[in-house]
Amino acid sequence: MRSSIKPERKNNMYSIRLYITVICLAFIAVSCGGNGDNPGGQQAVPGSQQSSTESRMDILGAGATFPAPLITAMADEYRDETNNRVTVNYQSIGSGGGVRQFIEQTVMFGMSEAYLSDQVMAEVLEKTGGRAFNIPITLADVVPTYNLPGIDKGLVFSGELLVDIYLGKITRWNDPKIAGLNPGIDLPRTPITVVHRSDGSGTTNVWTSYLSRVSDEWRNRVGYATSVNWPTGIGGNGNEGVAGAVQNTMGAIGYNSLSYALLNNMAYGSVINQSGNTIEPSFAATSEAANIKLPEDTRILFTNTPAEYGYPIAGFAWMLVYENLDQNNAIRNRRAAEELVRFLIWSVTDGQKLSEELGYAELSDAAVERSMEMIRQLKWNGEEIGRNLLDGDRPA
Amino acid sequence: MKSLRRRNIRDRVMEVVLMASTILVLLPLLIIIYHVISNGISAINWEFFTEELGSPSRAMQGRPTGLVHTMIGTLVVDFMALAIAVPVGIGAGVMLSEYPDHRLNPTLRIMNDTLNGMPAILKGLFAFVLIVKPMGTFSGIAGAAALAFVMIPIIARTTESALMSIPWTIREAALAIGLPRWRVVLSTVMPAAKTGLVTGILIGFARAAGEAAPLLFTSFGNNYLPNHWTGFIFNPVDTLPQRLYSLAISPYAQWHSMGWASAIVLLGFVILCFTAARLASRQKYQL
Repeated sequence: MRSSIKPERKNNMYSIRLYITVICLAFIAVSCGGNGDNPGGQQAVPGSQQSSTESRMDILGAGATFPAPLITAMADEYRDETNNRVTVNYQSIGSGGGVRQFIEQTVMFGMSEAYLSDQVMAEVLEKTGGRAFNIPITLADVVPTYNLPGIDKGLVFSGELLVDIYLGKITRWNDPKIAGLNPGIDLPRTPITVVHRSDGSGTTNVWTSYLSRVSDEWRNRVGYATSVNWPTGIGGNGNEGVAGAVQNTMGAIGYNSLSYALLNNMAYGSVINQSGNTIEPSFAATSEAANIKLPEDTRILFTNTPAEYGYPIAGFAWMLVYENLDQNNAIRNRRAAEELVRFLIWSVTDGQKLSEELGYAELSDAAVERSMEMIRQLKWNGEEIGRNLLDGDRPA
Repeated sequence: MKSLRRRNIRDRVMEVVLMASTILVLLPLLIIIYHVISNGISAINWEFFTEELGSPSRAMQGRPTGLVHTMIGTLVVDFMALAIAVPVGIGAGVMLSEYPDHRLNPTLRIMNDTLNGMPAILKGLFAFVLIVKPMGTFSGIAGAAALAFVMIPIIARTTESALMSIPWTIREAALAIGLPRWRVVLSTVMPAAKTGLVTGILIGFARAAGEAAPLLFTSFGNNYLPNHWTGFIFNPVDTLPQRLYSLAISPYAQWHSMGWASAIVLLGFVILCFTAARLASRQKYQL
């Protein structure tokens, strides 16, 4: 073995040296490129790109899973409309992740089904000298999903009933409280398995906020947040985890976004709203729920909506941007900021048309108006580029 | 006579037992390959290799969709990681094996083993703090760095044992003709241990190529090709293991089968790399 190596040692020596040289050179080239681009070179790369590929732009956003199909479809459409000039890259990492990365300034916009807390708003104000905007982009509706063979659709729930189930007070499907709301349906004696999200989720935020609003006991014992201390039940990771647990457990009840339940052919129930109307989840009923008086920053949970025919378990999904766009590390130059603003404007106006075929409710007029008001205030180095673009883009 | 027959029988029995255990080792692999291929083959077509992913509605409405950006991204990120990890890993391995008395070695060994045992997601977190935060964006190079942290300890370990397996007499012979120490390593020990080195690099590479966790918050993912080729290095990049994960947990049946198909591609990619590197290292031996 050893002797067989000797004759070709020379060959090997050269090839190994060549190999090492090439790899070292590549390594140096890559690391130099990396260094050159970070601090001072920020202008250099987009600049050269501009000259070579006619000012193309990537916009990076991340966050909530629920609106991801809509936002990515918007991205497809917007790319076509701008002739490949603008590519919006949206990655669904969950509402919690979206807020986190927004604060870390690694994304140009975040996305969340829970609005930024007062604490985060204050931090942003202190750090960037401007506000953080929560711009409504679409509506999230959460429906109770269940698995009862033979009862495919249309069980009726009330807020109190859902609270009792999620507190573990009602443990069987043939409980008189359930039967009372569903006369004529033959309910089995199957025990109820409660399923909830195990990860931090905007869907949970909407769901628990509804339960808090209809029940003092829930508000005091559990409260509402993106993740809470559940009194009972099993956890599933993500919409898909809850769906999987519900579909595989006879007698399970969970909560999913409507579009998700529709896509996966899950059975879901109707809910009786504040006005006493039984509302079957639908896009129209969700839009209706948002047709209320909104605060200026749109940071509002309108679960248990006062709207007469509104679906009670719904909320906004917000796009998160900094008022002073130049303060966001992820936005490298003015052009990127302008393209982001353009996309924002487009997504709350023309982009909304994609909603219904994808299973989303369109924004109410009140919400669009508020969004526009916030977009107008977006600034780059003090200049109100939002106002300029908005009033320049829509002369007709 | 009787005793000889008994020995023969015993021999055959042992042979069968060994064969059975070999098959048992291979069986899970074969089952996995069969399962992946049977589930994913339906989603593999020409568009799968030429189109970008885009939104889920593309797949649902039967518009062209594919993973071309993911495949290119995987190649770029994995080979950048390899370029970072090979010099560092081999260097550490050489240090451990050829300079056994060096003061740094005990520390190096412990650190290396710690790095090896560390959950991959922590390496991603490290790359996030080191590269993503200062750069202000997720990038292919950050993903490559995270994967390099996965490769380095494996390559260092295997390099060390490959070099150790070369008898000291070879080093002595080289030293005796007056070669300096670095030259001894480079010109005699490393060529002799080449197969071992290549194997080590391959193991590290294959391990890293299948990792999704370190890429979640470094290369981040992308539904499209970047606008310019530098985007593969400085902008968010899609990679097969990460895309596979997100396709698999999505609510769309079409995306599920695309996830299986991307598993086929990933498997094929790793197998191809193994074969190519094996052939390349063998060929040079026989020249």
